[in-house]
Amino acid sequence: MEELIYKLKEEIIDVLNLEGMKPEDIDENAPLFGEGLGLDSIDALELIVLMEKNYGIKLKNANEGKEIFKSIHVMAEYINEHKTK
Amino acid sequence: MSSMENYEAIAAGDSRLRLYPKHWGIPEPFFASLFDENTAFLHRVSRQGKALSRMESIAVTAAELAIEQAGIDASTKEVLFVLSTTKGNVELLAEPHCDDPSAVYLWHSAQMIAGHFGNPNTPIVVSNACISGCAAQLTAFNMLQYSDKYKHIVVIGAEVLSKFIISGFQSFKALSPERCKPFDAKRCGLNLGEAAAAIVYGRCENPDTLPDGTIILEAGAICNDANHISGPSRTGEGLLRAIHRTTEGFDTNRIAFINAHGTATLYNDDMESVAINRAGMQDIPVNSLKGYYGHTLGAAGVMEVILSSIALQKHRILPSMGSENPGTAHPLNVCLQHSTTTGDAFLKLISGFGGSNAALLFSLKKEKQVTGDRLQVTDDKIRGSNSWEQIAKYHLTPDPCNLSLNIDEQLTQQYRNIGINYPKFFKMDRLCKAGFLGAEVLLKDLIDDEKNNDDWGIILMNSASSLDNDRRFQQTIAEDDYFPSPSIFVYTLANIVTGEIAIRHKIGGETSFYVMPEFDEELMTELIAQSFNANPKLTYILCGWVDVDHGQHEVRMFLCRKNVETSRREDEET
Repeated sequence: MEELIYKLKEEIIDVLNLEGMKPEDIDENAPLFGEGLGLDSIDALELIVLMEKNYGIKLKNANEGKEIFKSIHVMAEYINEHKTK
Repeated sequence: MSSMENYEAIAAGDSRLRLYPKHWGIPEPFFASLFDENTAFLHRVSRQGKALSRMESIAVTAAELAIEQAGIDASTKEVLFVLSTTKGNVELLAEPHCDDPSAVYLWHSAQMIAGHFGNPNTPIVVSNACISGCAAQLTAFNMLQYSDKYKHIVVIGAEVLSKFIISGFQSFKALSPERCKPFDAKRCGLNLGEAAAAIVYGRCENPDTLPDGTIILEAGAICNDANHISGPSRTGEGLLRAIHRTTEGFDTNRIAFINAHGTATLYNDDMESVAINRAGMQDIPVNSLKGYYGHTLGAAGVMEVILSSIALQKHRILPSMGSENPGTAHPLNVCLQHSTTTGDAFLKLISGFGGSNAALLFSLKKEKQVTGDRLQVTDDKIRGSNSWEQIAKYHLTPDPCNLSLNIDEQLTQQYRNIGINYPKFFKMDRLCKAGFLGAEVLLKDLIDDEKNNDDWGIILMNSASSLDNDRRFQQTIAEDDYFPSPSIFVYTLANIVTGEIAIRHKIGGETSFYVMPEFDEELMTELIAQSFNANPKLTYILCGWVDVDHGQHEVRMFLCRKNVETSRREDEET
């Protein structure tokens, strides 16, 4: 799980262009949206693409992302449970 | 089909929306209105013998009908062509061995279209995302009102769909899996559509001489939300200000209906309901025509104005197909059935990516109508360039001392040199980064970012529109690696650069984007003068050229300020 969390942090920094951030800078329990990393609605859509492209997880409804993207930790747990690649 | 044939079809309840289960190699099904590929007018050859693209073909077909109906000679210098389109021939990016590399440039399409009619003027392309069609009409309106250069302006809105556009909207989760339901409580997204429509605008020398039934563009305005590059403002702020500016001094009891944008996305329709309620117009009937043709992007503002104009001439209000049980953030008087009206005006609303909103007000010329001062356009004093002045300029081109750096490194270096902290900069595409940097340098110490700057506007132009980023998006929809990226797609509209600058500096005035083959200083000067004249509350315009193409960037931005003293003196003399 620790390995997945670190990899996920690297992928998010890369795909969301979080300039100047390192995986160590991100608290995996902090909220991704609003406070925390301060991501917005377009970032959420990009995370949906990341899940499909890297882990073979296709969300049927974008609203499902609200629960899954609560934090890196929650996201990693979901990926661990549902990944197909 | 002619405008009247289209009107009669939708009045009879015909919708062109169909389900496309597997089209253009797109894995997911989608609802849309597409032209039948066998239709002859999709594959035209220009009068010069050049093959026209799908978009150029339908644009020429629509313009031919409009020009014939208007009875004008479009081959003279007194006629100008204005093309409204968001993506032009973007589908050609999927064909790397295209015969003519310039065919994907929007200005090239405009030249092909105007050239077909033998027109000698350089046509103008308005590419302002979904409000392009209305923005193009407002450009024509201002040019006719504040300049005597042209007698007629042919405004064409044209858009064709492709894997590029559909996949992008799908990545945005914006498309409805069923027919769209504008303003309905159960609406769940938009449908897209292909269309071309054209209007010939002429200056009104004397309104009394116009035949009864003539549709008159009374006023219009563009205002930016300065809120988000893709999400509508929750407060409807920009649209509300556009409505206020457009209807100021007009008896709103005359408005028969509001033809809203009504895309059927949750947030757009809610935003319109907020703005309409805040404007106190919630009792005026509201309709959306998206249930008939879908959202036709750059064509929408032109086509919907034509259909609404015919409805007004017939004293009818068209129902909003797809609306069954209206349910928006604030209640609206949504038209569910055909109805008649005694009103003699309608208000067109439209909003789009980049935070832009537009409102246009049209009226019907009636016998013995008191037309008022608003139509006396030829009596308006045309103010010269001494009513405003350029107060600053900024040029950014590849640094000859640092040619070892690529464009991304150069833009990042420039950002670091300015010494600001704006993490969103790194999410922008290169076009936005280039424009953003120019704005930072020019506006520093001049603009108060803590307050709403509704007296500021932005007018930019370039040659490549968003092609630099379009090529990046094209890579995300390859057959064997199909993962369309929403964060790249959102920047496949040239006007997003104006939206990014507006958000950064809370600029709430007009934001417009034009596409020309090269920087046209004369046109830019005209556009600035016309915008200052059209909006007395506008004090500053950030303007110029921001272009990024094939790894090269060029920024030539200027800041212009209205000369209050000169304007006041001219008003007194008048």
